[in-house]
Amino acid sequence: MAIALGLTLTLSFLTLWATTGKPLEATWQLLTYPWQAATPLTQWGKALNPAMYLSLIALGLSVSYRANVWNIGAEGQFAMGAIVAFGAWLLFGSPTGAWFLPLLLLAGTLGGMMWAGIPAALRAHLNTNELLIGLMLVYIGAQFLFYLSNGPWETAAAQKPVPTQTEELASALRFTGIFDKGPKLHWGLPWGLLAYLGVSLVLGLTLLGYRLSVAQASSRAARFAGFNPKVTIWIAFMVSGGLAGLAGAIFLSGDVGVLVDQSNFLQNYGFATIIVAFLGRLHPMGILLAGLALGYLDGGASWLQAKRLGDDSIAGIIQAIALFSTLGTALVVTHKVRWR
Amino acid sequence: MLKLTHISKSYGQTQANKDVSLNLEAGQIHALLGENGAGKSTLMKILFGLVQPDSGAIELDGKTIRIRSPQDAKARGIGMVQQHFALFDGMTALENIALGLRKPPKDLRDKILKVGQAYGLKIDPDALVLSLSAGEKQRIEIVRALLGEPQILVLDEPTSVLTPQETETLFAALRTLADEGRGLIFISHKLGEVKALCQAATVLRSGRLVGTCDPRKTSTNALAEMMIGKRMGVLDKTARETEGEPILHLSHIKTRTGLTVQALSVHKSEIVGVAGIAGNGQDRLFSLISGEEIEAAGHIALKGREVRALSPNHRRKLGARFVPEERLGHAAIPDFRLTDNTLLTKHSQTRTPLGRGAWIRRTARSVIDYFDVRGGDERSRASSFSGGNLQKFVVGRELNDGIDFLLINQPTWGVDLFAAARIRQEILKMADAGTAILVISQDLDELMELSDRLAVIADGTLSPAKPLSDWSITEIGRAMSGEGADERADQTKAVA
Repeated sequence: MAIALGLTLTLSFLTLWATTGKPLEATWQLLTYPWQAATPLTQWGKALNPAMYLSLIALGLSVSYRANVWNIGAEGQFAMGAIVAFGAWLLFGSPTGAWFLPLLLLAGTLGGMMWAGIPAALRAHLNTNELLIGLMLVYIGAQFLFYLSNGPWETAAAQKPVPTQTEELASALRFTGIFDKGPKLHWGLPWGLLAYLGVSLVLGLTLLGYRLSVAQASSRAARFAGFNPKVTIWIAFMVSGGLAGLAGAIFLSGDVGVLVDQSNFLQNYGFATIIVAFLGRLHPMGILLAGLALGYLDGGASWLQAKRLGDDSIAGIIQAIALFSTLGTALVVTHKVRWR
Repeated sequence: MLKLTHISKSYGQTQANKDVSLNLEAGQIHALLGENGAGKSTLMKILFGLVQPDSGAIELDGKTIRIRSPQDAKARGIGMVQQHFALFDGMTALENIALGLRKPPKDLRDKILKVGQAYGLKIDPDALVLSLSAGEKQRIEIVRALLGEPQILVLDEPTSVLTPQETETLFAALRTLADEGRGLIFISHKLGEVKALCQAATVLRSGRLVGTCDPRKTSTNALAEMMIGKRMGVLDKTARETEGEPILHLSHIKTRTGLTVQALSVHKSEIVGVAGIAGNGQDRLFSLISGEEIEAAGHIALKGREVRALSPNHRRKLGARFVPEERLGHAAIPDFRLTDNTLLTKHSQTRTPLGRGAWIRRTARSVIDYFDVRGGDERSRASSFSGGNLQKFVVGRELNDGIDFLLINQPTWGVDLFAAARIRQEILKMADAGTAILVISQDLDELMELSDRLAVIADGTLSPAKPLSDWSITEIGRAMSGEGADERADQTKAVA
C-alpha cells in the first residue's frame, strides 16, 4: 500500500512536471487550492460533492463486485436516476413544495434500479455478459437524456438556452448551500453520506452483507449455503443501480437543477467510480477515502486549469496512475517476480 | 528396461509406499492397480522425479539412477500423461504444445501432424482447446509427451474422461507404441480395461505391494480381490431393524450430468453407505440430495415430501443436514471465522435481524467444545485449522441438533485416526438416536463399520442398496470397477 502511494505520488509529480513545467507550484496549488481561493466554500464544494457522488456509487459497485457481478454501467444508471427523478416530478404535475424531495430521491433510486434491472435480468436468466450489456446501456441512457432535454421535455421558455435543456426543478426541491446560499457544498452532501452510512451498516452487519461476502468467497459454498446465485445477481445490481440512481437524483437537485444534453450533465462519475471502488479495496472505509481523494483531485484539476497551470484532464491521468500503481503493486505482493 | 525395487516413502506418519517393486519390460503395457490412496500416485511421482524416495532403487536399462526432477525424467526418456489436463483453453493445440517446450522447433506443426498420423492420434493444431472434447484434449497431452520421444510413458487413469469409442482409439495408439518397443505404465482401476490392454499388472494396497500377475490370465474376481483385499469378519454385521416409511427416498433419478439412481431409500435409524472409487459420480449424488443441483428427472422425497425443486435451505428446514467432502471452499470458507462459517448452514435458523448475534457465537463454541476442535477458537479463520480439526468442525456443525436426515460425503477424509474414530462414533450415535444417514465414502473399511446397507456407485450409476451380509467382497470390488451390472446381466442370461 505504501509502495502504491509512493509510486502514485512520484509518477503524478513527474506528470505535472512534464505537462506544466512548474511541478512544485502545480503540486502546491493542487494540494491546497481550497485555501488559495477567494471563495473557499465553492472550492470545497467542487471537491466534496464529487467525492460524495463517487463514494456513493462506488459503494454500490463494491457490493456488486464483491458478489462477482460486474456492473460497469453506473454512468447509465446515474443518468437514468436523474431522468426518472425529473420525470416523476413532471408526472406529479411539477409540485413546488419541499414535500416532494424525498419522492424525488426515491424516484431517482428506482430509476437506477430499473436501468440496472436490464443487465441483471439478462445475466441471471439468460446468462449474458453483464459487462457488455451494462456498458452499452450507458450510451443508450445518455442518448435518452439528450433526446428528452432536446425534445419532449425541452423548456417552453421564450429565450431558448444553448444547449437546450428542460425547465428548472422547483427551487424548493433544490438542495441549497449548507453555509451560504450558493449552489456549492449543498445539503445533498449529508444526505448522500447518510445513505452511504446506512448501506455500509447493512452490508457489514446483516445477512444480506453476509450473503454477498459468501458469494464473493466461493460460489460453491454459496450454493451449499442455499443462496440462490440468481437472487445474488439481482441484489448486486439493485444495490449498485439504486445507489447510482440516488446519486443522479442528488446531482440533479443539488448541482444542476435541469436535465441537459449528456456531455453537459454526465461528469463521468459512473466510470471514475470504478477506480474509486478498487482503490478503496471494495471496503466501505477505503472507498470513502478513495472517493475523497479523487473528488479533491477533481476540484484541484479544474483549479489548475482556471489558474492556467495546465489542463484539467490531469485529473484523469492521476486517477489512472493511482489505479495502476495499486493494482500493479497488489500483483507484486501476491505473485513472485522471476526473471528468466 | 525399468526396475523399481524396494521403494519406500513416508509423509510424516503416513507410509505412502512401503517396499514396492515394479518391473517394466520393453514393449509391455503394465498396469498399476489399486484403490485411491493405495500409493500409485506416490510411486509415479517418484518415477517422475517429483518426489525423492526414502529408500529403494530405480534401475533404467541396467543402470541404477537417481531422478532429480521432472526435467531429469524427461531427459532420461520418461514421459507422463497426467489425469488432469494442463492446457490453456484460450490457446490452440499448437500453442499449448509449444508452451511446454523449452525451444519449440520451427517445424513443430509438421511434427505434431506426423506423430498424430503415426499413432492415430488425430489433432487439429489450430483448434482452440476450449472447443475440444476431453478425448481430443487428451490426444494433445499424449502427443506433447511423445514429442519428447520417451521410451517409457506413464498414463494416469487415461480413460476416466473418455467415451468408449475414444477409449478404443486410445488403446489402438497405446498398442502401437508398445509394439515399437516402448514400455507403458497404465494406471487404472477399471479391471475390464486392464484385462483387455495389459500384459502385466502390479497391484498396490495401502502403500504395499500385493503382487504381480498377468491380467489376461487372471480372473476379474481375483484381480478385484487383490485390489481391495480380504476383509475378515466385517460382513457379518446385522442390519438394524428399520420400520415405516423411508426418511429419504430417491426414485428414477436421471440428471443431465449423467447420474442415474433407480431407487434408494434411507430409513429412520439406518445408515446406508455408498461405496465407489473417486470421480464416479459421488459429487453429483451429493449435490442432488443436498439441493445444490436441482435439475434432475425423477423424485426425491424427504419425509414423504417431494423436495426435488427445493434449495438446500428448504431441505435443511425439513430436517436434513449435509456435510460435503471438500472442507475449504465448499463446507467452509477459508477466510471466514468459524462463527461466520457456522452461519453458512444456519442462517435460516437465526431470527436476529443482524444475523450474527450471540446465538451464532454460542453455537460455534458448543461445536468446538463438544468435538474438541483444536488450533483456535470461534474467532479463528477456517484456514488456520488443520484438516482434521476443521473436519471435526464441519461435521459437528451439522450434528448438534436433533435432525431427521444426514448426508455425509467422505466423513474422515484426511483426518487422523483418533479424530476419524470420534466422527464415526458420533455418526453411529446419531443413527441410534433416530437419524437416517447416508454416508458416501471411498474407504471400504469405514463403510463396513458404519453401514447397515451398502450401495455402490460406478460411472454415475448407483446400484441397489443391499444389507452388508448380502455382499461379498469380490462383488463389491467388481461393482466398484463398473462391472457388476454386466455380471448380473450375464447371470440372468445364464439362468434363462
